[in-house]
Amino acid sequence: MSDFIAAQESKLGYRMVAPAFLVIGLLILYPIFFNVYLSFFDVQLNGEKSFVGAQNYSKLLSDSGFYDSLGTTLIYLTGTVIGTTVLGLAVALLLNEDFPFKNTVRAIVLLPYFAPVISVVFGWQFIFDPVNGVYNHMMVEVLGWSAERRNLIGEPDSAIWVVIIFDVWKHFPIAFLLILAKLQSIPRDQYEAAAIDGYGAWGRFVNVTLPECRFVIATVVLLRLIWNLNRFEDVYLLAPNVETLPIYIYYQAFTGVIDQGLAAAISVVQLLFLSGLIWLYVKKVLKW
Amino acid sequence: MSLKRTNFQRVFLLGAVLLVLMFSIFPFIQILSTSLKYQVDWGNPSLIPAQINLDAYKELLGISTEEIELPETIKIMLDSPAISEEQRAAIVKKFKSNANVFPFGRYMLNTFVIATLTALLSTAIATFAAYALSRLKFKGRSAFSNMVLFVYMVGGVLLMVPLYQMSVSVGLASSVTGTLISLLLIYLVQTLPVAIYMLGNYFRTIPFSLEEAAMIDGYSRTEAIFAIIIPLSRPMLLTVMIYCFVIAWNEYLFASVFLKQYHDFHTLPLALQTLFTSKNAIWDRIMAASMLTLLPVIIAFTVANRFISSGGTEGGVKE
Repeated sequence: MSDFIAAQESKLGYRMVAPAFLVIGLLILYPIFFNVYLSFFDVQLNGEKSFVGAQNYSKLLSDSGFYDSLGTTLIYLTGTVIGTTVLGLAVALLLNEDFPFKNTVRAIVLLPYFAPVISVVFGWQFIFDPVNGVYNHMMVEVLGWSAERRNLIGEPDSAIWVVIIFDVWKHFPIAFLLILAKLQSIPRDQYEAAAIDGYGAWGRFVNVTLPECRFVIATVVLLRLIWNLNRFEDVYLLAPNVETLPIYIYYQAFTGVIDQGLAAAISVVQLLFLSGLIWLYVKKVLKW
Repeated sequence: MSLKRTNFQRVFLLGAVLLVLMFSIFPFIQILSTSLKYQVDWGNPSLIPAQINLDAYKELLGISTEEIELPETIKIMLDSPAISEEQRAAIVKKFKSNANVFPFGRYMLNTFVIATLTALLSTAIATFAAYALSRLKFKGRSAFSNMVLFVYMVGGVLLMVPLYQMSVSVGLASSVTGTLISLLLIYLVQTLPVAIYMLGNYFRTIPFSLEEAAMIDGYSRTEAIFAIIIPLSRPMLLTVMIYCFVIAWNEYLFASVFLKQYHDFHTLPLALQTLFTSKNAIWDRIMAASMLTLLPVIIAFTVANRFISSGGTEGGVKE
């Protein structure tokens, strides 16, 4: 009887996951392998392909654009991960204190995170606009730090910093949210004990808060790395001249001299990095 | 946490809070402000418009009352007796409709339809999968749930080329309908993992004894799901739906790959980007369009707000 019930149960289980499995299998798992396959071909937009062996990969290794893009990605990841984590932690500590309208402030701080990228990038474009933007107004007319109005987003070298600040602005709320949840769970008496031991505010932060938050901070860092390695819209729409790996792939695949095989090869390389990070996340954070 | 604050500490704290608030909302205020300004006022750093200008909103929402002037040459052509009454009407109509260069309403409708379909389909499929993962024992269950987590973190850019090639090779990319189906399927699969993940976590918090009681009362397992789990999960189902809706509402990458040549079917992100790159000196319109794109999302999240902070953020939500 119980065998029968177990068999029934597993049958129902398969039936219920089948649609999701089919969709994910067909549109994510299969494409991942198909992508590896494509990376060994010269692929046209209309679907024609011819086998070229490892030529795409050798092209990649001798392509200076690819190395530039790796470098840009590295700067982008470092800047955004440090920025979001530090600001998220600072804001979480701050908004964990008592002050009027606390809940309203906490809700408003989340706004950048939930706003569609497309609805805020042009606002940021405007802030840094060389003619009308408030940034140039501050720098040139008010503070006098710069002699002339500059087009920060127009030049790739400075645009990457705008992109990083934009990303920190947009994503520190999620770091804030995760860290705040942890802060609220730290028992009060730990702080009292530390205070009795003679620690000041800084000492309590270093000896109580940081060790307690270590795990959640590591989680934030890993998740930021994973999501930002994937990130396309936020970078491309704000400053299309900042070529992180995803943007570089997009350009190879759909603009100018189209080379979808090369794009597939870069995707494979990026997937390897990504898989490493996901593995780390699963092992260290989820602890399977 | 500190028991007594000095006045200095109190002022410092409030100052810091204010600074964070400003940082968070300044860009939004900037967008709102510019959307309401006349062109002469754009370079003025003041956030309060010298004079309120609603033209951009009126134009985008199609409630502009301005008569469109026909060019002189067309007027002369229309006066010529060689043209029939019908031809004349057709020409006038063509010019009047062409004047509306940015059919914002149309783009909003496109985006709304595809985002709604995505949300409904994704939530429906995810409900069953999540239930099975959180309740039923079957071989391969943990493998499937690991897979969901993995694919959840694989970004769309990595699938862009193979998905495009697949859609070309099965012939979907060659027609409008096929393209729209491809896009809908892609949005479905982009939202499905996060929907399964959120719902699975939620279902685990519902005590199994409730279903057990229903089954003792003679309900079958499937009936128990509809009688117990779904009604109990209504708020979470709504939250997940909103989440999927917003992901689809925001999506740019695949829309740009698939819809580029089908202007009538552009979604908002694609349309706004095109508007931005095609013309200069229309900041007010771009900012007004930004505000109008933002609005539904803010409404959606105000509705879902209560549940977001509880269940949605664990493990980092799909972005």
